Amino acid sequence: MSGFTARADAALADRLLKVAVERTAGTAEAKRAVAVHAFPDFEQARDRAAAIKDHVVANLGHYLTQFESSAIAAGAKVHWAQTADEACRIVVDICKAANAKTVARSKSMLGEEIGLPHALAEAGIGRVETDLAEHIIQLADERPSHIIWPAMHKTREQVSALFHAKHRQPHSEESIAAMAESARRELRSQMLGADVGISGANFLIADTGAICTVTNEGNAELSLVPPRVHIVTAGIEKIVPSMGHAIHMLRMLARSATGAALTQYTTFYAGPKRPGDRDGPEEMHIVLVDNGRTKMREEGLAEMLRCIRCGACMNHCVVFRQIGGHAYGGTYPGPMGAVLTPALDGLRASRDLPNACTLNGKCQEVCPVRIPLPTLLRGWREKSWREGLEPVTMRQGVGLWAWVAQRPRLYRLVTGMAVAGLRILGNRGWIARLPLGGGWTRYRDMPRPAGSTFMTQYRKEQRK
Amino acid sequence: MSSARDAILSRLGTAAPATLRDEAEVLLITPERPVVDNRHLKAEFLARLALPSVSASHDAIADMDALPAAVARYLAGQGEPPALCLPPDPRLATLDWSGFTLHDRAAPNEGAALAIARRGIAETGSLIFETSPTAPMLPNFLALHHIVLLRVADIFPHLEDAPLPGPQPRAHYWITGVSGTTDIEGTYVRGAHGPRFLHVILLRA
Repeated sequence: MSGFTARADAALADRLLKVAVERTAGTAEAKRAVAVHAFPDFEQARDRAAAIKDHVVANLGHYLTQFESSAIAAGAKVHWAQTADEACRIVVDICKAANAKTVARSKSMLGEEIGLPHALAEAGIGRVETDLAEHIIQLADERPSHIIWPAMHKTREQVSALFHAKHRQPHSEESIAAMAESARRELRSQMLGADVGISGANFLIADTGAICTVTNEGNAELSLVPPRVHIVTAGIEKIVPSMGHAIHMLRMLARSATGAALTQYTTFYAGPKRPGDRDGPEEMHIVLVDNGRTKMREEGLAEMLRCIRCGACMNHCVVFRQIGGHAYGGTYPGPMGAVLTPALDGLRASRDLPNACTLNGKCQEVCPVRIPLPTLLRGWREKSWREGLEPVTMRQGVGLWAWVAQRPRLYRLVTGMAVAGLRILGNRGWIARLPLGGGWTRYRDMPRPAGSTFMTQYRKEQRK
Repeated sequence: MSSARDAILSRLGTAAPATLRDEAEVLLITPERPVVDNRHLKAEFLARLALPSVSASHDAIADMDALPAAVARYLAGQGEPPALCLPPDPRLATLDWSGFTLHDRAAPNEGAALAIARRGIAETGSLIFETSPTAPMLPNFLALHHIVLLRVADIFPHLEDAPLPGPQPRAHYWITGVSGTTDIEGTYVRGAHGPRFLHVILLRA
């Protein structure tokens, strides 16, 4: 049993997980639908968003150098990292040079991708996760299970137990509001006392050199303004040409992620504290991280570089809604994760992910930048087949099917027998146990097939 | 010049077509965005402030001299003492704040802070701020009650109107409601890390 299969098996057996995922993803799906309905020309807006990102990706080198010049002019220091290790080394070195004991971190998926929490721990630097969900999973010593709601897999009861065990002054009333208040009490002094603030960037503005963060909690500002040093780690694809382009992307991001017109806090930071400023960091460092992105651009995955990390694809994915995010095994779960993880971690280690998809196309329908996720997933499947990564049983099974499918009379005979057999197994429209197909019926019933095969019905119609 | 920089840029190339600027600008022509009635910007703005996602209250004053009384009215209505973190803005320093306990540095658990927004955006109900020596940023995030003065004449229709003329500040930020979170079971809770209450005082003059 592969790692993914084992994790998916465990996830399917976890009834609490299903409840937790359904509560948040279901709410997100409903809110997005309302927001999109209320927005004029959302479909054209998606076309524009995709065109902006394609324009950037096509001219990425130019915009990166423009951003670099603008950011330096604003007083920031710009660093470049080809790999995750290199990016972490740069961040740790900056922290050490600042004699930092603790860092406050505002949620960043890029930080997770490059393994920054681990690198900071290895360097002996204390880390305070300030996003509420990241705080929850830091206390639980777990990984994020969703890119917008990293603690989506936790029920309120589990969060309550965690806070009671770990907070200095935990909540006394069993409500979500009281739990949030407990986290506020716990985190505020830690944010104000941090030596370094670390964030990602939702957008890098090429012509001004500013970096943009968005949050609903305000934790980014509270993590990044008080410390002496602000470090930004950002993927190189986060560039947009100007503020105007960022504004269009922000309209798409908020609606697609949470169904809001805009996040509560949207901040553009350009360089460190200016003369006379009462607050703000004395140093601002921006680490531009490649980590496989130039390779993706060269090897047919340029469309994936459009991704603005809204999470809509996973909120609407029937597979994600069943197994949650941890089963995917990588930093990024759901459909976008199933495309990204093979690029980041290698196809051999993650070939199951592109197969964990029904290709129902829902992810592509809701993607604000029109990433053809099912097509990209099929691309990985084809590559996996070409490179001989599929297991022998799969190759033999497909070979047998191909052999039969090329003999129409035999194919019709076999499928006819299969349909008849399945109908015998069915009871009141459903099959509870399927010989040789236990994996299907272990967690759900299979629909009893129609009375005859498609071809039989088709030919009957043709004879009329 | 770092080797990583060279390696990344050599793969990407840095040459840009002569038409690059035009291509970028074409992408900004007639953007899709919510419709705003330009004749009634104040009403549009106030309607957005009242949305559950923004959850801001508001008041109106005729001139700056009426500001301390409006702030006192709000704080009394909330059952809060007349204590206030006031930014070092000369427009505020000349007002009569008698009856208030004032301080110009925010405490870790600040009760209330006042700030002057540079603009308001009707499309979203956003308040636009920029940092400067007279406009610190931190009090606006530490305070439980964030009280914001906004001139009616500074309400603009769309987010494209948010960037201000002049040199770029260290931080340009938009506040669209109170601090909130949906991180536990997707349930909305206000006052996650920042202000739990946002009160806008519109200045008609």
